[in-house]
Amino acid sequence: MQLLQKFKRGNSKKSLSKGHANYAYTIARVRAMKSKLLPKETYPRLMNMSIDEITRFIEESEYKEDIDQLARQYEGVDLIEHALNRNLAETFTKLLYISEGDVNFLIGEKLKKYDIWNIKTILRGKYCNASTEEILDAIVAGGRLNYSSLSELAAKATYEDVISELANTEYYPILENYDGTNLSEIENKLDKMYYTGLFDAVGGSKSKDRKLFEEFTRMGIDLKNLITLFRLKKSGITDPEAMDLMIDGGLRCNLKETGKLLPLSFADFVSELESNPYWDVISDIVKPDMTSLVDVETRLKNHRLKSAASFSHVYPNSIVPIMDYMLSKQNEISNLRIIIRGKAANLEDDVIKEQLVI
Amino acid sequence: MATETVALMGNEGLKAIGAGLAVGLTGLASAIAERDIGSAAVGAMAENESLFGKGLILTVIPETIVIFGLVVALLIS
Repeated sequence: MQLLQKFKRGNSKKSLSKGHANYAYTIARVRAMKSKLLPKETYPRLMNMSIDEITRFIEESEYKEDIDQLARQYEGVDLIEHALNRNLAETFTKLLYISEGDVNFLIGEKLKKYDIWNIKTILRGKYCNASTEEILDAIVAGGRLNYSSLSELAAKATYEDVISELANTEYYPILENYDGTNLSEIENKLDKMYYTGLFDAVGGSKSKDRKLFEEFTRMGIDLKNLITLFRLKKSGITDPEAMDLMIDGGLRCNLKETGKLLPLSFADFVSELESNPYWDVISDIVKPDMTSLVDVETRLKNHRLKSAASFSHVYPNSIVPIMDYMLSKQNEISNLRIIIRGKAANLEDDVIKEQLVI
Repeated sequence: MATETVALMGNEGLKAIGAGLAVGLTGLASAIAERDIGSAAVGAMAENESLFGKGLILTVIPETIVIFGLVVALLIS
């Protein structure tokens, strides 16, 4: 069975994978890592704690090493924030270290999101003349570009130096068009390149697990587009140029249908949404007179997490359980960050709870 | 030619070949099954040492295949 899947997977056009793919080893390890994530019941407990108590709680969990390492540099909320970022980066690079061959290639493609994120952060930093330390504070070295090479990039004096340093990377053809003013256009192109890369990595393969991976990715695009659309509509934007923000390749909604929704007012948009495949997920909270989009975004993110978990059970010996873990880990980090930042800003518990994706 | 060789070998020879095949092929089958289970067990153990016992038991379960092969070989010979 496995040999058959391996044969079907074949070598996709862009696949640079070499050697034996250790699916069994990586997936078992990742599942064990997933079992160490904070359970749902922890979040209500964290809500009742003060920031110091949360720090102590986190220090006793999987984040101990990160807190210990950073305790000399930072304190309070900043300490937790940096420890969380460091842990995320360490966890994802660990996934790259423990995987081989095909698995490693696919994880690397998925983690390009962080490489792109970091390049964008550095360019933004240079754009607003931020110091090297400030840029490094915002970096999450979770991809193939490691922390030391990113530090070197951040230390460059101008954006031209940063781009010329990246001349040998695949990002260069896009970055070379940056003239110091069109940052958002370059950022959009980089994001689209990430998805194109993911599709190329899966492209042409007939194996069931790759198809699931493709579906998983395309569903993420659907939900991302839907969230972007909600934000655009809420701010009253009807400009057709906003279609540039949408990502092509969705699973159940194509760009043409999305484009039809763009010129509508918020009330019309909501009534049109009733025919949307994801309407069931958000039907009870979407109203024409809604003021906040937090509920919708939380619900859609939650739907994504749930479907990732069910995807990972459909074909357990594939890349999907690893993607499910990555998503759950990101969500844990984002939840913890919401709680500590909310506590630090003296927000009410109900407001913080609304933001959590559990 | 083949018929002559078989005739020369007699029943004992054929039985020995059968027994060898039974043990050899089931040994290969066990190895293939244990490869993935073993690597998965090591992966899980790397994260959580307390899984050693469970990992060990699951890894040796395909050994039953080769034991059946051995029983068949003993019955043949």
